[in-house]
Amino acid sequence: MDSENNVIVEYREVTKKFGNFTANDSISLKIYGNTIHSVIGENGAGKSTLMKILFGIYSQDGGELIVKGKPVKFKSPLEAISDNIGMLHQHFELIEDFTIFENVILGSEITNTGVIETKDTRKRIIDLIDKYKLGLDIDNKISEVSISEKQKVEILKLLFRNSEILIFDEPTSVLSPVEVDEFFKIIRMFKAEGKTIILITHKLNEIKELADRVSVLRKGKLVYEVNSNELDLEVLSREIIGPMEVTHLTDERAGTDYDSELLLSFDSVSVKKDNVLKLNGISFHVSSGEVYGICGVEGNGQSEIVDTIIGALKISAGSLKLNTGDVSLVPDDRIGKGMIKEFNIGENVLLREKNVTHFTKKNIKETSEKVISEYDVRLSDSLSPLASLSGGNQQKVIFGRETGLDNKMMVLVHPTRGVDINSSAFIYKIIIEQRNKNKGILLISSDLEEILKLSDRIGVIFKGRISQEYPKSDFTFSNDEDKHNFMVKVGKAMIGIE
Amino acid sequence: MMSRKLKANMLSIALSLLTTIILTSILLLAIGKNPLMVYSMLISEVFGTGYGLGQAIFKATPLIICGCGLALCFQASLFNIGAEGQLNAGAFAMSIAAYTFDDYLGFGVLPFAIICGFIVSALWGLIPAFLKIKRGISEVITTIMMNFIALALVNYFLIDFIAVKSTVRTEKILDSVFIPKLSDFFGSFQGSSANLTFVFAILLAVFLYYMLYKTRFGYEIRAVGLNPTASKYLGIKTNKIIMWSFLLGAGITSLVGINFIFGYKGYYEFGFSNNLGFTSIAVTLLAKNNPIGIIFTAFLFGVLDYGGLAVNTIVPKEIMLVFQALVILSILAIDKIVKIYYLKED
Amino acid sequence: MIESILSLTFLAQVLRMFTPYYLGASAANFSERGGVINIAIEGFMIISAFGYAFFTLTFGNPFLSVFMTLILATAFSFLYALLTIKLKINQIVTGVGFNLLMAGTAKFLMMFVYQSSSNTPAIQPIPGISLLNSIPVIGKAAGDYIIIFAFVLIFLSQFILFRTRFGLRLRSVGENPEAAETLGIKVRLYKLYGVLICGVLSSLGGMWLASNQSSFSDGMIAGRGYIAIAAMIIGKWKPVNIFFACLMFAFFEGLEITLQISGSFLPTQIVQMLPYVITILVLIGFIGKTSPPAADGVPY
Repeated sequence: MDSENNVIVEYREVTKKFGNFTANDSISLKIYGNTIHSVIGENGAGKSTLMKILFGIYSQDGGELIVKGKPVKFKSPLEAISDNIGMLHQHFELIEDFTIFENVILGSEITNTGVIETKDTRKRIIDLIDKYKLGLDIDNKISEVSISEKQKVEILKLLFRNSEILIFDEPTSVLSPVEVDEFFKIIRMFKAEGKTIILITHKLNEIKELADRVSVLRKGKLVYEVNSNELDLEVLSREIIGPMEVTHLTDERAGTDYDSELLLSFDSVSVKKDNVLKLNGISFHVSSGEVYGICGVEGNGQSEIVDTIIGALKISAGSLKLNTGDVSLVPDDRIGKGMIKEFNIGENVLLREKNVTHFTKKNIKETSEKVISEYDVRLSDSLSPLASLSGGNQQKVIFGRETGLDNKMMVLVHPTRGVDINSSAFIYKIIIEQRNKNKGILLISSDLEEILKLSDRIGVIFKGRISQEYPKSDFTFSNDEDKHNFMVKVGKAMIGIE
Repeated sequence: MMSRKLKANMLSIALSLLTTIILTSILLLAIGKNPLMVYSMLISEVFGTGYGLGQAIFKATPLIICGCGLALCFQASLFNIGAEGQLNAGAFAMSIAAYTFDDYLGFGVLPFAIICGFIVSALWGLIPAFLKIKRGISEVITTIMMNFIALALVNYFLIDFIAVKSTVRTEKILDSVFIPKLSDFFGSFQGSSANLTFVFAILLAVFLYYMLYKTRFGYEIRAVGLNPTASKYLGIKTNKIIMWSFLLGAGITSLVGINFIFGYKGYYEFGFSNNLGFTSIAVTLLAKNNPIGIIFTAFLFGVLDYGGLAVNTIVPKEIMLVFQALVILSILAIDKIVKIYYLKED
Repeated sequence: MIESILSLTFLAQVLRMFTPYYLGASAANFSERGGVINIAIEGFMIISAFGYAFFTLTFGNPFLSVFMTLILATAFSFLYALLTIKLKINQIVTGVGFNLLMAGTAKFLMMFVYQSSSNTPAIQPIPGISLLNSIPVIGKAAGDYIIIFAFVLIFLSQFILFRTRFGLRLRSVGENPEAAETLGIKVRLYKLYGVLICGVLSSLGGMWLASNQSSFSDGMIAGRGYIAIAAMIIGKWKPVNIFFACLMFAFFEGLEITLQISGSFLPTQIVQMLPYVITILVLIGFIGKTSPPAADGVPY
């Protein structure tokens, strides 16, 4: 397997940057033909970027990509497709109103003077469906089929285009356990036919079951590689999470003597969105003077918790109690949900203060300047629109605005995502300060480190419910070893093993 | 200090006027007319005489009013293409209220008729708002369709029940309840139809400017227009804002009836609006939905409108229709080009 | 009354009135299938009706005039595509602007060239197929090239949209341009094709009206461009359904004319507004579920 002439794809010191952010940092990686090669890492480790370079969605900024022995720099997916590379995206690229047949042929139609040839093409597709036991009816519309069937259509598209190198980007995240088994069978068939499969995932059990070789990415770098016969899941988990910095916990409470008042409680709450059950009888509560951290892989119901709290989603079962007036909210998508980017700081703050009815110049300016000085916002002109501020400064403004409302309850979602280190530290300080002022804080984050640093209790969310809950004593560590073990345990809970 | 955004706005307005003038000149040259002669005649006729200026003001007045109503909708990102229908329904109701009660109410009939007209237009505007909120139907298609429905209904009630025999107009109101003409105060406007509605229109624009840019309600409208999702997370009741913007915006369009009914003819006449509801879209967009800006763009269109008549001896007045359309298309195009190349957006 | 509706003359009239509706609705459909909303169909019909009148009065040859008018309409289509596809300007606003421009230009040129604000001098209609023209009663309709084309178009557009590579790609661009792009389809090019076809078809509709009336007159399009869009919505963006919607509207129009002549229980204004009322009812969902192309009107 490791013979050099069997290398089908090779990355040589490939680097990809987005502005100041280095998504892939000089990665050198070999993928051998006719293997299942898994690329694993946390969210934002650079896995998808690396694969999108191979599929021609991005071009590398530095380094070389060698496919089947010749150096390439794909400018579009078309070029990658013509080199028999196919990619199954996390988000389906399907046309809902088209039939499966139409979706499969689109872009690679066989035609006779412009008219689509159907007879032979249909037969070819039906043969593929039978061969791989995909169980699809090619005349069904995409809008009528299930998510797992949609995924099979995407696979069918790859097969129709004779792809030899197949990239799967977290393919099982949308599948139920039974469907996962079916999917594994299909993958094994591909391998048996001599195809090469690159599997992006963060599910350890999938690697154990399928992969011939595993590469671990962390913060844009390739940090570890191992063949399946030497695979040790404990070691792998550690490599994924990385070494621990000693955390400086500045969370000593101002006074120990606070009255713990129940502010928010979800009691077996179920919520549907577009007829799909997103919260499945979830229960947890947040009291004053504590940070309740919810961690989990994204898409397990986190955003629905927020939408339920602000009343944008209706509860279908269970009950939600909110023993407080308005809730302060720092949403996940700063620009899309957290502010009106065309307005300046003062306008954004006043917009949230319902008792302010008149927006005078003086009022706007004073409000802006207050937030700027109190929250250390860096900008050239105090009245410039928020769009012109850096991510970290925008986030500080949102924090300034929401803490300024002085609501008893705060909901924070990914509070430091895309924020520089200094701003993050500042934001952590604010969160602890607020808690010490006896506020109740619901912290939702996929950054486990952040959750551990700030929370008084932790809940792990998996498939729309809290699957594990840990009190503070569980994550008060005496040494790094304990912390590692705890993180591995939580990490497993996040992906639903054990 | 002028912000880059403001500079960009000024730049694109100036460039699009220039483009329009160039394109119109090319058209004039193509048909063998001297553009300079046309422009100089237009300017001297409009600005050289009190009558000309008065007529331009008279033509600008309904454009300011209707533009203000549209600005309210557009600021909330509601593409109200239905002003033509809304204002006809409202003005029709206004005139009925006016001639029916002018005997009893005297001058009091003015506010009464205004309220009646406003309510009818507002209700008409409420239908697309309601369909958008409850059913998610785009207001664009519904407002276009409702233009035709409004005109057909007005026509039906007017012709079959209300119109003065063998005309397409309602009864005339009493002379005593007419609004004074501007020439009553400034003699130089003698003969022009400009009336106090113009002053009302300016006050309306100023009031709307204040509302949109200085009050919570206005900020919420603009926030919903800029980013409805964020508005929801910021705790704004977006549906309520959509409803009120449509209701008030449509209601305001009815006020153009004041100029025609109380300031000019004394009755509602079918076809009086002459595409006012569409031209106002151009006026409003040219002003970037800013009510103060609308005063100026409406005046520009008023000048063109009357100016067309003034130059009719050398070139058909319809040239101004072309000019107006070119203004709107070039502001759209140049605005985008400025955004891409000057503001580096997109 | 009933007799006059059931007569062959009435049927011939309905078939004729059907033509501009179907051409306009088909035009709108090709554009929207590619994801571009074009509410300027009305304007395209106006400028083309005037264009045909102008060219026949200038050159005399009807077929040459049709050709010249199509070039004119295509030029406007390119401009529309430049603004909406290249510069990604809001399609509704651009459409409003185009309607003002094309209606204004027609009015201006009519005044300038023919010194009339109401109509052009009488023009030569597009000649028909004389053999078919000689059929009694329906002959004028049966031998008319554009009417024949409109009926062929029902099947032709169904075929193009659903059987050819071009149609598949055009629809994919209107449904999900991102997905189409990942499969190597030139999204903007297909949108341009849609807009150009739209211009040509609506232009034919406008020309037919001028030819049928033997002149161009102010206001002659009378909202047919908008009714065409309404028919497309009611027809749920499907050529055959659109055919029935247009037939219904043509029937209403025929009815309106008959009512005007014979006088009756139903006011003509109420008949006039029916297409629009029905469209809104369809949109609300009282008459089946509608769904436009998923990326309709979204610039890409």
